[in-house]
Amino acid sequence: MAKKLGKKARKFARKNLQSAAKRNRKIRNQFNNRRPRRGGSGAREDGDEDVQQRVDDATMATNDTADALIDGLEFPEDDIEIDADLSDSDGYLSEDPGCPYYSDSEDGDDVKGSIMQDGLDRQNDDMNLDIEKQKRKLKKLLDKDPEFANFLEKWQSELESYRSKEDSDEEDGMDSMDDDDDSNDANSPDTKILTTKTISEWCQLVSKDPKSSALRNLLNAFRDACRYGVHSDSPSMQRFQSTRLFYQIISFVLSESDNIFRALLEISDDANKGQIMNLRNSKKWQPVDPLLKSYLRNSLDLLSQLTDNRILSFVLTRLRASAVLFSAYPSTSSRLLKILFRLWASGDQSLSLSAFLMIRQVAALLPDCLDLCLTKAYNTYLASTKLVNDRNTKHIDFLMNCLVELYSLDVQKSCERAVTSVGQLNAILRQASKTKEKEDLRKIDNWQYINCVNLWVRFLCCNYKDYNLNPLFSQVLQVIRGVAHLFPGTRYLPLRLKLVQMLNELSTCSQMFFPIPSLLFDCLEFREVSQKEQTQKTKVNFSSLLKVPKNLLKSRDFQEECVLSAIQVLSAHFAQWSYHVSFPEVATIPLILLKRLHEQTTIESLHRPVKRLIDQVNENKDFIERKREVVSFSPNDKASVDSFLQEEKSSGNASFTRFYASIAENRQPRGRKTL
Amino acid sequence: MGKRSGSKRKDKNKVILPPELPPEVDDDAVDVSDEDIEFYSRNEFHHFDQEPIDRYVKRTAGDEAEVERLYEEREKRKALRRPREENDDLEVDPVDALPIKNLQGELVYNRAKKARSEENTGSTKSQENGADAKQGINKDEQTGKSKNKKGGDKVKNTQSHIEVPKGKLHSDVLEEVKEELSAEELFEKKKAQLAELGMAMLEEPESNIRSLNDMLSISNDKDQKVVKLGLMSLLAVFKDIIPSYRIRQLTEKELAVEVSKEVKKTRYYEYTLIRCYKAYLQKLISLEKQPHFYSVAVRCMCALLDTAPHFNFRESLLASVAKNLSSSDDVVRKMCCETIRSVFINEGKHRGEATIEAVRLIADHVKLNDCQLHPDSIEVFLSLRFDEDLGEDETEEQKVKPKKNKHRQNQEAPKPLPVSDKKKTRRELISKAREEVDADLRAVSFTLDPKERKGIQRETLSALFETYFRILKHSMSTSNLRSKANIVSPGASHPLLAPCLEGLGKFSHLIDLDFMGELIACLKKLSGYSDRQDGTPHDNTLSVSERMQCCIVAFKVWRSNLEALNVDLQDFFVQLYNLILEYRPDRDRGEVLADALKTLLWEGKQQDMLRAAAFIKRLATFALSFGSAEAIAALVTLKHLLQKNSKCRNMLENDSGGGSLSCLVAKYNPEAKDPYLSGGLASVLWELSLLEKHYDISVSSMASNILSMATLNPTQNPVPILNVNPLEAYRDLSIERELSKPASKALSLNLKKRRRGKEFVALNPEVLRKADCSVDKQELEEKLQSHFAVLRGISENERLRAELNHTLSSINMYKEYKKQKKKNMKSKIIRKKVARV
Repeated sequence: MAKKLGKKARKFARKNLQSAAKRNRKIRNQFNNRRPRRGGSGAREDGDEDVQQRVDDATMATNDTADALIDGLEFPEDDIEIDADLSDSDGYLSEDPGCPYYSDSEDGDDVKGSIMQDGLDRQNDDMNLDIEKQKRKLKKLLDKDPEFANFLEKWQSELESYRSKEDSDEEDGMDSMDDDDDSNDANSPDTKILTTKTISEWCQLVSKDPKSSALRNLLNAFRDACRYGVHSDSPSMQRFQSTRLFYQIISFVLSESDNIFRALLEISDDANKGQIMNLRNSKKWQPVDPLLKSYLRNSLDLLSQLTDNRILSFVLTRLRASAVLFSAYPSTSSRLLKILFRLWASGDQSLSLSAFLMIRQVAALLPDCLDLCLTKAYNTYLASTKLVNDRNTKHIDFLMNCLVELYSLDVQKSCERAVTSVGQLNAILRQASKTKEKEDLRKIDNWQYINCVNLWVRFLCCNYKDYNLNPLFSQVLQVIRGVAHLFPGTRYLPLRLKLVQMLNELSTCSQMFFPIPSLLFDCLEFREVSQKEQTQKTKVNFSSLLKVPKNLLKSRDFQEECVLSAIQVLSAHFAQWSYHVSFPEVATIPLILLKRLHEQTTIESLHRPVKRLIDQVNENKDFIERKREVVSFSPNDKASVDSFLQEEKSSGNASFTRFYASIAENRQPRGRKTL
Repeated sequence: MGKRSGSKRKDKNKVILPPELPPEVDDDAVDVSDEDIEFYSRNEFHHFDQEPIDRYVKRTAGDEAEVERLYEEREKRKALRRPREENDDLEVDPVDALPIKNLQGELVYNRAKKARSEENTGSTKSQENGADAKQGINKDEQTGKSKNKKGGDKVKNTQSHIEVPKGKLHSDVLEEVKEELSAEELFEKKKAQLAELGMAMLEEPESNIRSLNDMLSISNDKDQKVVKLGLMSLLAVFKDIIPSYRIRQLTEKELAVEVSKEVKKTRYYEYTLIRCYKAYLQKLISLEKQPHFYSVAVRCMCALLDTAPHFNFRESLLASVAKNLSSSDDVVRKMCCETIRSVFINEGKHRGEATIEAVRLIADHVKLNDCQLHPDSIEVFLSLRFDEDLGEDETEEQKVKPKKNKHRQNQEAPKPLPVSDKKKTRRELISKAREEVDADLRAVSFTLDPKERKGIQRETLSALFETYFRILKHSMSTSNLRSKANIVSPGASHPLLAPCLEGLGKFSHLIDLDFMGELIACLKKLSGYSDRQDGTPHDNTLSVSERMQCCIVAFKVWRSNLEALNVDLQDFFVQLYNLILEYRPDRDRGEVLADALKTLLWEGKQQDMLRAAAFIKRLATFALSFGSAEAIAALVTLKHLLQKNSKCRNMLENDSGGGSLSCLVAKYNPEAKDPYLSGGLASVLWELSLLEKHYDISVSSMASNILSMATLNPTQNPVPILNVNPLEAYRDLSIERELSKPASKALSLNLKKRRRGKEFVALNPEVLRKADCSVDKQELEEKLQSHFAVLRGISENERLRAELNHTLSSINMYKEYKKQKKKNMKSKIIRKKVARV
């Protein structure tokens, strides 16, 4: 990573950020004059800025592309960066000189000998050899002509002065030029080599007493570990000689710091934001503040440094415990969220999940962040649902569920957003239905629109019982009906099936009746199948399609998929009303069509599933008819109608229920069920 | 053409008239009209360029033909040069081509005109005073002249040679003129010329009537753009000057009578107008065949027909427009439909004569094309208007008519419906006789007496129904022929059927009683009714909508004839009963279904109880499977049926196993084809209990409203909640209507503020559990260590690279060093040498 950044960027950082860093340092000096400071403590500043900037750039870039992708559906995002306390912090903590440093050379496992034998190591070896060769050559030259040594020296000093002219702040001596290294205090902790023994000792000290001064040292070490490799020519690189050490520091700090800080601040596990804010003004806070800040900021650095999904999710899991502590630092938490959303949208499942859990934690604990979270999550969702293929349907589904989770945290608040979003959807729909122009229709006939509708359907389903969401409900319903109306025809059957699935969901949650069959007649209609057999089986997967390609319209596979999907949603509909007194009537018309289809279809593979559905429906129909023959209430007796067969329903033993369960199960492994 | 060239020559002669000669002295063979003289006396010619006129002055009469030939040649060449600019602007709005006369009577010129005026400021005044063709041509010369000024030498040359043989001289000059004029200028010139002519025409049509000839000749131009401009300008002129009467051919007698000067003038005016109009129409008709001018020509004809349906040559206009009713070009078709509609609606303009002609033309057209036309061509009939009492005193009229002309009937083309020949003959006779009378009447009076009006309307009506019946017959024969064809594209094979049925429905009250039986039989067949023996209803190729329309029409016909007709409409009920199940929301038109429900069930008075029960049950089942709009239409009908047939209310109650009423069929069979055999009365309307849970509030409230009937006694009706017929109910709930309504205002959600706890709502708990199992320690260590190693490797690599670079550059410096050293050596040597020297 550090390499990718390149020298140019670093140079840029050095050049442009240094003045700011210097100013900050000066201000700090004025404030913290009393505190003894070691030389070179500010040296890391620019590196820090560097990382910060890069992270910002990365997120900005993703934001930009996301903006370009989503046309008008997303929520406006105001990226007000509270830079104020971003730069006023110095990662470095002054250390207590009393802390033990053990200098030993027992680090047996050198990097070279470690498991890693990748190309870089070999390259480094080659380069080492090369350097040796060249140096010998140079030495020969020098030996041959001693005057050349003088010349070379002159040239080098010229180069130096040129460079120092380039960097106006050079004379400060703070920069990490290679030859400035020696200007650093040899005793500076920056260059003190860490050993496993030292770390173990510190860990022990800290575990025993959280207030121990070793915590500072430990956090400093953590800081250096987190930034390891960011600034390759920094002296802190030298502090780590072994891989074990690196692991030791990071794992200890991550796993223990939450307890330590809670102990220091004396807060319980279920502390909320208010308590933290109160604490901020208390005396207890003062000594802990820099430590905490350093810990949180460095953890973020680590997050943006790491590339491995497993470690990332480990870090996130650890960090989640101390989510509430972020509330003290708004800018840090917004940076955290940026990183989190990037990780959330990434394809890896466990990482996405841990990122989301962290997001949820932050959103739940920090009310200030909720708005930002909702907006960002929605926009991220829209951006990542632009394209749907066979592979990412699951991920999108997961993202949608996450979003629903997030929006269910504070329904009052998220309802406003839902209303806005659904209003947008509705406006697009109206426009399209008014003009019927291709461009307007295309705004609906895309995944973003459909996924957005699906999101609100899911949201409604989760919260319909607990809240009065009727106006939103009817709006969403109108959108679904409108879309179904605007896209008739066989080509849009996949889209239609999705809408029907949504209606089924809504129907289940609201216990309202939706005439699902009217949208499915097209699927059950017998169509000619092209006679020529296709040589290769084209897989028609409706979950990643909205519109069927024209060449597949007459194919056997399409027809098959059509009927099977229709059976799926139709049986869901039937299953919902399978205990209702009027089930026989619900099934009448679909049954006529199914029978006709069964007679006419030429596709052998369809005979069995269709027949099975017909039989099951008939069985249930007879069952209900038998049952209702013996009751004495009339259709207008609401209470009796509602209680009809409730016992059977709760036991769920009727054959149709079992049939539906088996159908739903069968479809799942084939990956066809999207919802 | 002969005429036109004659007039052209006349103009030429005028152009070359020597200005010094007073007009009255001119004893040329060509007759000079009064206005010409007037013009000459009014205008001073001193501003004319002397040179070109001089050139022509010396010309002898024999040269005229030569000059004309040259002119023509020039035109041709211009046309050749022009085509490349054609693409620039093909259509010019007539408004742009002509000046506009505003309310104050001042002429407002368009831009091109202004440019033109600037060029010839000297002549603008005279133009405004009423320039005529001469002026235009003069200006031609002027322009040519001014363009020539550059090559003044040449002109002078020609001038000096003015004495040499004149023929040669003319051709030289013309040659030069046309060389100099660029194609663009020519176009601009023509445009301006058209504008001037048109403006003059509009200002004083009486005196400038002959400009029409010039405009016509301009529109014969080779340049398509110019032709279009010409056509549009002429259209504008004609629209303005066509009188509100028809110009009649003068009889010999009238011509013989000596008339005053005024009358002569008027006659001359009318004669020219009619001649030009005819030429213009001929031109339009011929141009219509060229694809390039197609839309322009049709547009002109439509506009003319729209403004002057009373004027001469209406027949040819109507024929063209009627032919284009089924044009494949959408714009043209729309235009023609609009025109025909306006002809139908504004009958006052032409006393209905155009209407009958148009209807007949369309009828012929339908016949010729074997009913394969665009639906629009029949749809225009819906705009026809007939007097309500048209059918009533028909019988009385018939008695008056003589039965003489019976033999004529045989010459007629075979009638589509041979029934009621007698009646037809009679009507034919009536119309024939009427026509004769009409002709006389027309000559005398402007207003139509009601009798005459009725006659025309009756004729129109007969032509109308002839067309309709033809279409019906045709649909029947083809549907039988193609009974084996698949039903993939219903409706496509009978494009005219839908508007035809609609029209029959609309004019059902005017249909002759004698046709009724035939019509109903026809409709019955079309609606797919089969006598139960011959195959499935699928043999019918008509779409569900069309079949339902057939049912609707049959009922409308029956009902609008006061239900006097003794036909058995039972079959249509059976049809509808089955068609309800065939209805598909996106394929078929829901409005037709709702209309059918309304016409057959909602408007009916008393229904058979068994049938009503069957329909009630089927509609309830239907409402469960179809969208809210269809459902509400069904429920409205259902409620109405329950209200009308109080005995059916038993279906709302569940008395010891099924309906209480004993009937033929003990058990309800939902798939029965015959409503009488379905056993609807034995069923219970359980559907309504589920419909109460319908998502649409109006459907659910309607369902509960119907259910509330159960507790009322048979004579009572529940509180009416939706007082509309099924069709209106359908429209109110259709999604289009819903979407076209303005979006509801920002929703205000009043939620109880409740913050959810920590429980998850959407995510699967299994998934969540997965997240909590922490990463394996060993694995974590390995991963972290490798991460570290990579970082370290990278930084090491970077460090080494820097060192390597440094060393390498140091080595490179050695070369530099050597070079410098050599230089130093050299300079030293030189210095040494210098020192030595």
